[in-house]
Amino acid sequence: MSNKLIDIQDITKSYDGTIVLDKLNLYIRENEFLTLLGPSGCGKTTLLRILGGFETPDSGNIIFDGKNINQLPPNRRQLNTVFQKYALFSHMSIAENIAFGLKIKKKSKAYIQDKIRYALKLVNLEGYEERFADSLSGGQQQRIAIARAIVNEPKVLLLDEPLGALDLKLRQDMQYELIRLKNELGITFIYVTHDQEEALTMSDTIVVMNQGYIQQIGTPEDIYNEPQNAFVADFIGDSNILPATMVQDKVVKMLGSVWKCVDVGFGRGTPVDAVIRPEDIDLVKPEEGTIEGVVTHLIFKGVHYEMEVLANNYELLVHSTDMVPVGTEVGIKVDPFDIQIMKKPESEDEEAVGIEE
Amino acid sequence: MKSRKLLTGPYLFWSVSFVIIPLFMIVYYGLTDKEGGFTLLNLARITTPENLKALGLSLLLSLGSTLICLLLAYPLAMILAEKKVRQSSFIVLIFILPMWMNFLLRTLAWQNLLEKNGVLNNILHFFHLPSLTIINTPYAIILGMVYNFLPFMVLPIYNVLVKIDRDVIFAARDLGANTIQTFTKIIFPLSLPGIISGITMVFVPSLTTFVISDLLGGSKILLIGNVIEQEFKQGSNWNTGSGLSLVLMIFIIASMALIAKYDKDGEGNAF
Amino acid sequence: MKNIAKKIYLTLIFLLLYAPIATLIVLSFNNTKTRSKWGGFTGKWYLSLFHNQDIMNALYTTLIIALLSALIATVLGTAAAIGMQAMKSKIRTFLLGITNIPMLNADIVTGISLMLLFIAWRFTLGFSTILLAHITFNIPYVILSVLPKLKQTNKNIYEAALDLGASPVYAFYKVVFPDILPGVFSGFLLAFTMSLDDFVITHFTKGPGIDTLSTKIYSEVRKGIKPEMYALSTILFLTVLLLLILVNFTPDTQKEDKKKSRKITHIHKISSLIFKKAVPALMVIVITAGGIFYHSRNQMSTQNQVIVYNWGEYLDPDAVSMFEKETGIDVVYEEYETNEIMYPKVQSGAIAYDVVCPSDYMVQRMIENDLLAEINYNNIPNLEYIGDIYMEQSKQFDPENKYSIPYLWGTVGILYNKSMVDEPVDSWGILWDEKYEDNILMQDSVRDAFGVALKYLGYSLNSTDLDELEAAKKLLIAQKPLVQAYVIDQVRDKMIGNEAALGVIYSGEALYCQMENPDLEYVIPKEGSNLWIDSWVIPENARHKENAEKFINFLCRPDIAKMNFDYITYSIPNTAGRELIEDESVRNSTIAFPDPSQLTNCETFQFLGDENDTLYNQLWREVKSQ
Repeated sequence: MSNKLIDIQDITKSYDGTIVLDKLNLYIRENEFLTLLGPSGCGKTTLLRILGGFETPDSGNIIFDGKNINQLPPNRRQLNTVFQKYALFSHMSIAENIAFGLKIKKKSKAYIQDKIRYALKLVNLEGYEERFADSLSGGQQQRIAIARAIVNEPKVLLLDEPLGALDLKLRQDMQYELIRLKNELGITFIYVTHDQEEALTMSDTIVVMNQGYIQQIGTPEDIYNEPQNAFVADFIGDSNILPATMVQDKVVKMLGSVWKCVDVGFGRGTPVDAVIRPEDIDLVKPEEGTIEGVVTHLIFKGVHYEMEVLANNYELLVHSTDMVPVGTEVGIKVDPFDIQIMKKPESEDEEAVGIEE
Repeated sequence: MKSRKLLTGPYLFWSVSFVIIPLFMIVYYGLTDKEGGFTLLNLARITTPENLKALGLSLLLSLGSTLICLLLAYPLAMILAEKKVRQSSFIVLIFILPMWMNFLLRTLAWQNLLEKNGVLNNILHFFHLPSLTIINTPYAIILGMVYNFLPFMVLPIYNVLVKIDRDVIFAARDLGANTIQTFTKIIFPLSLPGIISGITMVFVPSLTTFVISDLLGGSKILLIGNVIEQEFKQGSNWNTGSGLSLVLMIFIIASMALIAKYDKDGEGNAF
Repeated sequence: MKNIAKKIYLTLIFLLLYAPIATLIVLSFNNTKTRSKWGGFTGKWYLSLFHNQDIMNALYTTLIIALLSALIATVLGTAAAIGMQAMKSKIRTFLLGITNIPMLNADIVTGISLMLLFIAWRFTLGFSTILLAHITFNIPYVILSVLPKLKQTNKNIYEAALDLGASPVYAFYKVVFPDILPGVFSGFLLAFTMSLDDFVITHFTKGPGIDTLSTKIYSEVRKGIKPEMYALSTILFLTVLLLLILVNFTPDTQKEDKKKSRKITHIHKISSLIFKKAVPALMVIVITAGGIFYHSRNQMSTQNQVIVYNWGEYLDPDAVSMFEKETGIDVVYEEYETNEIMYPKVQSGAIAYDVVCPSDYMVQRMIENDLLAEINYNNIPNLEYIGDIYMEQSKQFDPENKYSIPYLWGTVGILYNKSMVDEPVDSWGILWDEKYEDNILMQDSVRDAFGVALKYLGYSLNSTDLDELEAAKKLLIAQKPLVQAYVIDQVRDKMIGNEAALGVIYSGEALYCQMENPDLEYVIPKEGSNLWIDSWVIPENARHKENAEKFINFLCRPDIAKMNFDYITYSIPNTAGRELIEDESVRNSTIAFPDPSQLTNCETFQFLGDENDTLYNQLWREVKSQ
């Protein structure tokens, strides 16, 4: 990938004595689709607003294209924002909304007309020029908000939970739309969401945040498969997080039994957390498993069945395409590379706290 | 659902009895003479030189006070709106609170403040500034109007301004508008319902007042409100009084139409 | 920098809003009766306030009207809002339009329209008409406060309650009502405040003997506000301020921040207790107590009363209470400022007064228009104390002495401030001297103003000659730029406070002014002036004629006449009464009891006929509108 476009250095921000962002460091590359993911109140929106210029950090620097833009007002930053609730101008027509930024830049009429047509085509809303925002659906308004931002040809587009107010089907459609847009425009997207599925679907890079700290940065695959702590594991998808002890490298003790794994370097006897994704647990005949358990609940989920299995006083969540009736005694088997070992959180700040979503 | 609609019944009855019918009484009196025959003479009375002058002066003073109220209230409403005071009711209260001191007394107190030997002149004198003699002049009346009706300009504008999504303002800034452009292109047009509502709520009472001109104008200045009041309370010519009221109602109806056009959803209500 | 500018701006606006209020609070501690002089600090008005029956009655009326009208408006308005919410948006918009009428309409038009309605329906103007009017203009405030809350309310909540087996009424009361309660409450509060602050609509819909604080103050404006009024307003204002501070401490329990300390929560609990329990309880007490108070008063008054319609500040209130005590007759007392204000009220017959006190020419006009009843002189033995020369003088307007009994008399002249006027004052001409621009106070009534001009021109003040009147009008117009203000009883306060150098004034007022400010001197100009007599008369439609005669007889008693003179300092025709005055200089004062030689050029006003009356009014309006 290419160079750093934005470099966020030691940003701290607090409101009324509550620290929202604490010495945060992060860089964003050109043409990257970067997602800030975390529960509400984790500081992701604040970070976005600082980038947009709507908030000033208490300390730290924002370097954009090699220049410090801390003091630059929003109207002079080369980035545009798509707001959560669209923030369309209700007293203007769609065309006037889209033309707003261009008119201020004193572009020619013909240029503006071209741009409006181009932008509406890009978001599949041709012919909506003279309509007003309140006559459009949520999804349409969202696309107008995007059109309004991109006609200004920003280097970076900031998107603040843009799909939050849409229903599921529309949200999925818009996800593809956004990926397509990003590819066509070839610009950097910084995307804020609390929806892990959205993040996994669209991003090049995901930044998981909680309580003002970055928990993990990585590709969607990294984040999903190798969460670095219990918070990330719990926040991204369903998972079983179990207290465990390292017996030695590549051997862990949990659920009253000893399991093979692939992690090294935690040290003998160290208490750790072990993460197992529900789809990685195989239910076999009792005698074939590492340990035994009983199926206590069963729900049909469409793609798969969701089951709860009681083993050694732990309720394990299991996803499987095979149905096992309630009451069946089963054996439990997990492949070594499906057991992810994480160190226990050291400080209170890092601790995975209640997830509100 | 039907039974709920019936709850409007008593109010509807009340409105017809005490709002609609009384207005028709004015129309009736305004269009008849003392013997009850139809006439347009009462309306024509507005064209006598002294009534025209009173109406003209009323229009002038009320337009002046409305303009001053707008100029004072808009920045005030903006400051208050951006304060993000948690209880917006608190702001309303600051403006409602003075109403618990009687309106006449409050206005009368301006006599004390503005008189030749009044408080204001004493202060000016203390700083060796020239004294101000505006009591018993149209300026004192404008001051009285501004003082009494300012809240009715501030509150609707404030109510509209706080409802403007901050993100909309940010969006304008984000799209390249500077502070002034953001104001002229976004904030001002969006606050128009409040402004219109405020204008009518100041203009109508200013246009029709007789108390303020009485108290602060030294009875030297006759406004159309004074003329009408005298027709009813002293001259005992109800027909002429009603006729002149009908003329006034033209202005009031125009204001209502303006509100209906610009503030359909009642966004600009004062309270 | 920007923030400082904002703070300064806020402070200035705050000053503008609250400077008059501060002024009133200061005045409530002022140890003189006139508002134009600071006489040291005192708390006495706060004590005398509670002994002032008039003000306390007005306060009760105001509070009860405000409470009842706000309550009824809240019930009607809330019901209407709920109904409107259930309607189609077109009908709702239409209804909202109607709702807006009383809010957007001018008060004066609303007031007038209601007055016309009440009179057409033959309602007696009084408590009930004020109440009806107040409810009418209060309902919109309630509707507009409740509707937004209803819009916010989740419809599903109500349906959920029905689903759980609640009856519609129960569901509404338990589920919807708590949601809209803040709106209902603020609507009530707003309605209450508006009712309290209203003057204009009350002014047009009120009847005799009933006053709210507003109308009471308005009638006092011309003769100077009683300091007790300032004290009362201060008490009201501070009470509300205190309540509001408490309200602002009551939290929205839902929004409450967990991190707030327990202590604050405790305060919140107490204050919310106050507001949920104490305030409503207090209101109920005030209503019932006030209602009983009112009821008992009304019952008493309808049986045995006398309705007196007198000039402002023209009778010692103690005399009234003495009369009530001695005879058991309840006096309903109302005041007017000029003959011209009084006349149409009596003429319209909407209010049946028992005793009125018009001036000479107005007595004549009322006789000619058959508005007066003959007085039965057998019922007024005290007539013997009235000097014969006054009865003789009365014949000018009551040729057979059948309808009127002289009450007070005097002259009109110039009161001037010796420290501001150097030359000797002996002519009306000084009122046209440009040296005294903005230092002249003129009388704000037709006949008095024209009387001055006509006399200065050497004409009769009863002139009906068009040319003479035209000349007088021109003269008055020429004088207008020099006039500081046209006033009635305010001349007194302004002259005492050194606000003006010259003022046209009644002799009785002049005497009082001189006592308060020794710099003042009174003169009857050499061109002559008005010699006036105000007399008691009984209107034709009086309902309590015998009580009226008892009342007049009582006032003719020498001791009462003397007591009255001490209080209002106007000349009394009661020769026996005059002899009782202790202070010799006053008894022989040439202001109060001028030498016949001073009165050679003086005339008494006569009624000039309705047509000439209209002419005078027309000319006067031309002067005023210049």
